Amino acid sequence: MARYYLHINNGGGYSEDLEGQELPDLDAARAAAIEGVRSMLSEEARQGQLDLSGKIEIADDGGNILLVVPFCDAVELRRSE
Amino acid sequence: MIERHLLKLRARDIVSPEEEQAIRDSIGEVRSLSADEIIVHAGRLMTFSVMLLDGLMCRYKDLSDGQRQITELHVAGDFADLHSFTLKRLDHSVMTLTPCRVALVPHEKLEQITERYPHLTRLYWFTTNMDAAIHREWEVSLGRRTALSRIATLFCEIKIRLEIVGLTDGLSYDFDLTQTDLAECVGLTPIHVNRTLKELRERGLVQFKSGRVTIHDWDGLARVAEFDPAYLYLEKWRT
Repeated sequence: MARYYLHINNGGGYSEDLEGQELPDLDAARAAAIEGVRSMLSEEARQGQLDLSGKIEIADDGGNILLVVPFCDAVELRRSE
Repeated sequence: MIERHLLKLRARDIVSPEEEQAIRDSIGEVRSLSADEIIVHAGRLMTFSVMLLDGLMCRYKDLSDGQRQITELHVAGDFADLHSFTLKRLDHSVMTLTPCRVALVPHEKLEQITERYPHLTRLYWFTTNMDAAIHREWEVSLGRRTALSRIATLFCEIKIRLEIVGLTDGLSYDFDLTQTDLAECVGLTPIHVNRTLKELRERGLVQFKSGRVTIHDWDGLARVAEFDPAYLYLEKWRT
């Protein structure tokens, strides 16, 4: 287990994660990021607007950015031709 | 030891000296627990109910994929599972969220109270009904409120409940939960909670930092929450 910090950068500005989460590995941190983005987007969808331009920065205890997860990685968009 | 429990009851009704003594006599073992300790396991036969003396606990249920829903928080002075007296095997578990001190009240002692103290029995019936009212309010939050309003409601509710038992300092109180705990209360994810806390802070309503809630604008927070404390039954009346 390691502590990962999932900072949010989107239309609402930058939300630093000061607390972090204990997770098994970076894959689990990425999964938590994806789940978090889906949760935020579902709220936006309820209000009729989706902003997919944000990203989650996954950092370690030392503040190093290990991975950046764009919001658009969290959903697959389909529309009819 | 049971002072906060008495404050909670006496905010709603009269507790006579004899009834107070009956409650004191019903206390069995007192235990100190660390954070994240399960004290009631779903499905196990219960022979005692848990009175929370200090700390924060929760009722919760887990899904098979690891998702957890906290269904109610408990503050000092609450019975976390008075309903196990009649249900015996609960459909949910109860765990600590912070270090806690609890008193175990054997069900046989509760049975004696029901036989000898009808008014106190009605008062305890009232408190389980109040738990049900809190569950209803949480249902409304989970089903209908926005993320902002869900967290605002929770902060309002806990402020009132802690105030009754003397654990607020004006508009601020200790609330040593993680963002993951909060997410499990309001049906969101820790990231979404983080984002929502930022919005509440930037609107000048409330700050949640280092295990403490500080409300900057009670009226504004209550408005965002559509908070109506009627479900906490604060008026004093005799059961």
